[in-house]
Amino acid sequence: MDLFTVELTVANHCGVLNRITGVYAKGKHNIESLTVQKSHDPALSVMRISSRGDAAVQCQMLRQLHKLLDVKTVVLLNNSML
Amino acid sequence: MKKSGAETVIESLCRNKVKTVFGYPGGAVLPIYDELYKNCHRLTHVLCAHEQNAAHAADGFARVTGKPGVVISTSGPGATNLVTGIANAYLDSVPLVAITGNVAVPLLGKDSFQEVDITGITQPVVKHNFAVSDVRELSGILDAAFEIASSGRPGPVLVDIPKSIQTDVCDESEFLRQELFFNELPEVDLTAAVSAITAAERPLIYAGGGVTASGAEKELLSFAEKISAPVACSMMGLTSLPAGHPANLGMCGMHGSQSSAKLQSECDLIIALGVRFSDRATGNTAKYKEGKKLIHVDIDLAEINKNTAADIELCGDVKTVLKKLLSLLPHQERPQWQKRVAEVQKLDRLPEENTLTPRTLLKTVAGYCEPDTVVATDVGQHQMWTMQYFPFRSPRTLLTSGGLGTMGFGLGAAIGGCIANGRKRTVLFTGDGSFGMCLQELATAVSQNLPLLIVIFNNGVLGMVRQWQTMFYEKHYSSTTLNRKTDFPALAKAFGAEGKKVTTLSELEKALNTLASDRPTVLDCQLDMDEFVLPMIPPGGSVQDLVTGRN
Repeated sequence: MDLFTVELTVANHCGVLNRITGVYAKGKHNIESLTVQKSHDPALSVMRISSRGDAAVQCQMLRQLHKLLDVKTVVLLNNSML
Repeated sequence: MKKSGAETVIESLCRNKVKTVFGYPGGAVLPIYDELYKNCHRLTHVLCAHEQNAAHAADGFARVTGKPGVVISTSGPGATNLVTGIANAYLDSVPLVAITGNVAVPLLGKDSFQEVDITGITQPVVKHNFAVSDVRELSGILDAAFEIASSGRPGPVLVDIPKSIQTDVCDESEFLRQELFFNELPEVDLTAAVSAITAAERPLIYAGGGVTASGAEKELLSFAEKISAPVACSMMGLTSLPAGHPANLGMCGMHGSQSSAKLQSECDLIIALGVRFSDRATGNTAKYKEGKKLIHVDIDLAEINKNTAADIELCGDVKTVLKKLLSLLPHQERPQWQKRVAEVQKLDRLPEENTLTPRTLLKTVAGYCEPDTVVATDVGQHQMWTMQYFPFRSPRTLLTSGGLGTMGFGLGAAIGGCIANGRKRTVLFTGDGSFGMCLQELATAVSQNLPLLIVIFNNGVLGMVRQWQTMFYEKHYSSTTLNRKTDFPALAKAFGAEGKKVTTLSELEKALNTLASDRPTVLDCQLDMDEFVLPMIPPGGSVQDLVTGRN
C-alpha cells in the first residue's frame, strides 16, 4: 500500500493531537511517522503524518481530517515536496 | 459587569434561545443548578431519572424542533451516562449541546472523586467538544457549541466545565472569542447532474435525514414529480414524503419495502439526497451500484465516496441543491418507468387481518393520531414494523434511533418530543425488551403530566435477535427468551401512570378511546413471539436474496 503524508495546520492547544490521531485510529490506519511543531503563529501548529493507503483511503482521510474544527488546512504532500 | 461561570452558562443558554434543558444534578454542577434555581422563570429544567434518558430527551426535543437540545449532567458517572445518548445523536446527526461539570481545576488529572476525562471519552462520538480551562473562554465556547451543533451537518457538542470555573468570576469585557475553522461549502457545478438526470430512463431518488435537516420536503416533492422518479427513503428520511404519495416507496434497505428493493435494482440512476449509504440501507455495496450511475448530494464532503463511490459529487445542503436543480431541469414524463413503479408498488399491499398483529396494532393506533402526532420508537422488531406500517404524514414526527440502534432510546425521546410539541399526545412504540432499558423514565413522564401513549409490543422475547437466531443460528434461542413475570399495567400504576393489558383489537380500541390526557398510559399488547419482520435482505445481501415469507 502506498505511503502518503499529509501536512496539517491546526489549533495549538491540548487535545488536538488526540482528535487528529483519532481519525486514523477509527479507520484502523497505523501512523508510520508523526511530527508536530509550533508555527510562526503561536495559535497554530504544523503536523506531518505518514500512513499507508490507496487513493480512496487518502481521499477519505483528507476529508475526515478537514472536517475537524481544529484543522485549518490539510494538504497531501507528494514525494517531491518531502 | 462581573459574572460567575455559572451565570455565564445561563446567559449563554438564554442568548441561544434555549427555554428547556434536560438533566440531572450532582456535586460538580451545583453552581449551575443554583443559577437554574434563580432563573426558573426563563429556563425550565426537566429533571429526568437517568442521565442517558436525559440525553435522549434532549435528542428527541431537537429532532422535533430542529434546534439544539440541551442536556446537563454532573461529572464522572453523570458524564459517562451521557455517552450513549451523545453517540446516538452523533450517528443520526442530531444537534445536541451536552454540558458536563467536572472536578475543580486543581483536582483535574488526579483521579479525584467523580472525575473522568469526558472530552477524551466522547471524542470519537461528538462533532466537537471543549474542556473549558479559563472562565474568560466560557461564553465564547458555549456560543460556538450552539453554532457547531446546528450548522452544516448537525451533531452533538460537549462542553466540560470544571466546578471552579463555574464559580470563577470575570468581567464581560474580558470574554475571549473562540477561533474555529469551519469548512466553506464549495461551489457546486450542476451541469453533469442535469445531463445525467435528463438522460436517465429509470431514475430513483434515495432520500435521507439531510432532507429533514435542511427542511427540503417541499423541494423533494416537486423534484420527484418533475423528473417522474420514485423516492425510497432511508430510515432517517422516512418523513421526507407523506405516506400514500404515489412516488413514495417507503423505507429501503434490510427491512425496506419490496418495491424499493426491486426498483433500486432496476433503476439506471440513483439520486442520493442527504444519505450516507449505511450498510443497513444498501446491503452489498458492490451489487447495489452495479450498472447504475450515482449522484450523491450531501453537506458533509467526507460522506461522499465513503461507503459507495459517486459518479457525480454535489457537496451542499439538500434544499439549496434541489432548488437549483429544479430551476435547471425540464419536466420529464417517463411513462414506462412510472408504469413499472406503480406495478411493483402492488407488492407492498398488505393482506386483510382482523386479529391483533403488529400490523393491525399500528394501523389501529395510527387511526387515533393527528398528522402532527410525534411518534417515538425503541429498537428492534417493533421499530421496523413502525417504519413499514405507520403512515407518517409530516416532517419531524418520527423519533427513532437509526445509526446507533439504541434500545432504551424511546421513552426519553418521547418525553423530549412531547415537551417540544406543546405537550400534545405523543406515541411511543416499544418492545418489552427495549422498555426494560428505560422504564424508570415513566417517573419523569408522570411528574411532567405528559399524555404519552406507550404501546408495548410484548412478545416475551427479544424478537429481532430471536428472528436472526431462527434464520441464521438454527433456532438456538440463546438468552432471547425473557421469561419475565413483569406486570406492565401494575408497574405503570406504581409509577402513577395508567396501564392496561391488551389481547384483542377490540380491547385496543376500547383502551384508545379512554386515554388519560394528563398522564402516560401504558398499553401492554400481547403479540406472537414468532412474528418475523419481512421482507428482509440478509446482511451483506442484495435484492436477489430478498426474503418475503417464513420459508
